[in-house]
Amino acid sequence: MTESPALAIKDLRVTFGDTVRAVDGVSVEVRPGEIVAVVGESGSGKSVTSMSTLGLLPPTAEVSGVIQVGGVDVTALDGAGLRAIRGAEVAMVFQEPMTALNPAFTVGWQVAEALRLHFADMSKKRAYERAAELLEMVGIQDAKRRLGQFPHELSGGLRQRVMIAMAIACEPKVLIADEATTALDVTVQAEILDLLRDLRAELGMAILVITHNMGVVADIADRVVVMYQGKVVEQATVEDLFARPQAEYTRRLLTSVPRLERGAHRARARTALREPGQAAAGTPALALSDLVVEFRGERGSKVRAVDEVSLTIGAGEVVGLVGESGSGKSTVGRTAIGLIKPASGSVRLLGESLTGAKGRDLRRLRRRCSIVFQDPASSLDPRMTVGDCIAEPLIINKIGDRDDRVAALLKSVRLDPSVRARYPHELSGGQRQRIGIARAIALDPELVIADEPTSALDVSVQATVLDLFLELQDRLGFACLFITHDLAVVGLVADRVAVMNSGRLVEEGPREEVLFDPREDYTRRLVASAPVPDPAAQRERRAQRLSL
Amino acid sequence: MTRFLAKRIGQALVVVALVTVIVFLLLHTVPGGPARGILGPQATAAAIAAFNHEHGFDRSLPEQYWMYVSGLLHGDLGASYTLNQSVSSLIEQRIPKTLVLTGLSTLVALLVAIPLGVWQGRRRKGLTDYFITTLVFIGYATPVFFLALILVIVFAEKIPILPVQAPQAETLAGLFADSRGLVLPILAGAIASVAVFSRYMRSAVLDNLAEDYVRTARAKGASERRVVWLHIMRNSLTPIVAMLGYQLPVLFSGALVIESVFNYPGMGLLFWNAAQTSDYPILLGAVLVIAVATVIGSLIADILQAFIDPRVRGAIK
Repeated sequence: MTESPALAIKDLRVTFGDTVRAVDGVSVEVRPGEIVAVVGESGSGKSVTSMSTLGLLPPTAEVSGVIQVGGVDVTALDGAGLRAIRGAEVAMVFQEPMTALNPAFTVGWQVAEALRLHFADMSKKRAYERAAELLEMVGIQDAKRRLGQFPHELSGGLRQRVMIAMAIACEPKVLIADEATTALDVTVQAEILDLLRDLRAELGMAILVITHNMGVVADIADRVVVMYQGKVVEQATVEDLFARPQAEYTRRLLTSVPRLERGAHRARARTALREPGQAAAGTPALALSDLVVEFRGERGSKVRAVDEVSLTIGAGEVVGLVGESGSGKSTVGRTAIGLIKPASGSVRLLGESLTGAKGRDLRRLRRRCSIVFQDPASSLDPRMTVGDCIAEPLIINKIGDRDDRVAALLKSVRLDPSVRARYPHELSGGQRQRIGIARAIALDPELVIADEPTSALDVSVQATVLDLFLELQDRLGFACLFITHDLAVVGLVADRVAVMNSGRLVEEGPREEVLFDPREDYTRRLVASAPVPDPAAQRERRAQRLSL
Repeated sequence: MTRFLAKRIGQALVVVALVTVIVFLLLHTVPGGPARGILGPQATAAAIAAFNHEHGFDRSLPEQYWMYVSGLLHGDLGASYTLNQSVSSLIEQRIPKTLVLTGLSTLVALLVAIPLGVWQGRRRKGLTDYFITTLVFIGYATPVFFLALILVIVFAEKIPILPVQAPQAETLAGLFADSRGLVLPILAGAIASVAVFSRYMRSAVLDNLAEDYVRTARAKGASERRVVWLHIMRNSLTPIVAMLGYQLPVLFSGALVIESVFNYPGMGLLFWNAAQTSDYPILLGAVLVIAVATVIGSLIADILQAFIDPRVRGAIK
């Protein structure tokens, strides 16, 4: 406690216009070599707090309070003074590494720029040499060649490493990682978190991690600041926070987080579900065999997005399909209900062949299944009222009595029937996703494809939507292909789990087996990379993962 | 890159071939055929038959098309009915002058529009932004001939500092020797283009200002000037360059009006006069040349784009 903080935010208040108070009296300190996590849901003000430390807020923001970096008050600085701090004293790594790098300049140019902006006398050649050293430091192999590459030529993980290299170029006292791993796959996220830990040890930086992910917090933070609606509701060491949460909100947040644990599974009211082996006995809801989907790649070459995948879902069964981005899991979902045509292999839907179905047969089959998409904001027509969105499948299939049916559907997703007259943009993300679910169950489907239905939602909202979804599944008994990258969510909802990696089905089996006793190396690595919201357990998992 | 070029040039050739078909068919849709057009409504049937026979119009269509195309391949666009010259030699004389006019007015337009668009993008919704937007819209909405007339009235009559007529020299050198006469035609051409380019630039800059990489550049400590003129500029130029290629036919049609107002001896004036004398070979030759120019223009725009945007470059490797 004797060391003076590298970053001290005191009583920060940020308002937009007269009404919106984004940050309301926040105080946070980060000492050199310390990692502090600011955690909260969307709209909690955590990103506004981090942006204000560099004076990066738009001019409409009114800021009061003190932000000290190495004893200097940032809020009192003018343009040139701020620029001298930015990148040199405080550096930031942002969420989306694809868009955070300038697409028109090489990686080397951008890292060198970070150097040359602050070391005016550094030659171009020297800056590029140093840039190569920095890339090596953040674990990029073949750094010399990478310098000449453009951002779009690198993978997401590499791009984020470049961002970090750029951030540490001038050896700042404070590094702010604003949702720096959110857009990354879990295995890459784990590597980036390792890198941040190493850099902290090497350079003694103070690191402020902004995140919504409790697993990330448990993995990396020394201390945690919990924010809610612009205020700090709790500050504690990471062990205390998870073991003895004080604030009501923190407790609620922690219970909302799905956990990847043996016992954490839905209680199924229905006993109708057969054992996995028996599922094949009745007519399966979905049977994929040797499914191959190809897309046209560069120069007319074909890219196999799905490579000989066979998967069966029994009636009323929930199968979780997990995998990292680009593994082909969404393509499988879309092919399963005929939105994409497979190159070879067959899809049998509810006992009938979908691959050969045309015209009326195809429509009749499609009527019996439905899909819920990830982003409710873009999968609902912005010019249709909520009622019309839900009624559309009824209209298409000429089902009368629509008014009552829409009202009943809204009730079943726990929304007031009066919202039918509203437009999607007037609703919150969670409400919108419930509309998406209501639309999906409008025709009493026998199979629902749920493609990352809760990934765009905050954890507490996710918890209620998942709860609702499971209740409906229980009541209506539809079979479900639940596609997600979140292993904890899969652990919660699925009866069986299938794992995909670069187009292939790597492993498939009962939930307990795949998640807690995986046979394949890939699954083992995937499971080990998913951070759990428990610091002690996470430390163990990390050690395990590094030994893999 | 060579693969990409070969493919694009192949596509261009197909387009040009289609254009020749269309131009050929246009020639035959003239009411009463070209003979009626030339000889006038009072011509006797015998005179028309003689004309048709002389020009081969009494043969079958495919045969005529073949004659037309084989002529084209030898650089023969036919002969003017009224000017006693071959169309190709007429176009050869005129086209460099039109290229000078359109090239210079585009250059002037870009030099004004790019900084203007950037400046407006940064000061969006300010009073000056609204003011400039108004001016630009007026420039955009004003018909070119009207704009040209206003320029003449203001700069040649009210304040007589510039000549009304463009230089009438035969050669390009002669054209530049009398460069004062070029000012008004170039200006008239530039004003409309400024409107188009600056709007594109403004919205491109606005889009890019909201991009994450701009925040990254600021977080590195880059000055606002550097962010705008280096980081944003490179990314905002792509739509402008893409548009330049497709702007070519628009420029030519602008030249048509401007050249006739200022009596500028280019393709536009040639076309204008030919239209009035029903000199079809010239009209069709000009259409063909403009079509080819458009195809080449979009090809060049694509190549330029690859130089600016590494993602495009990567895709066409």
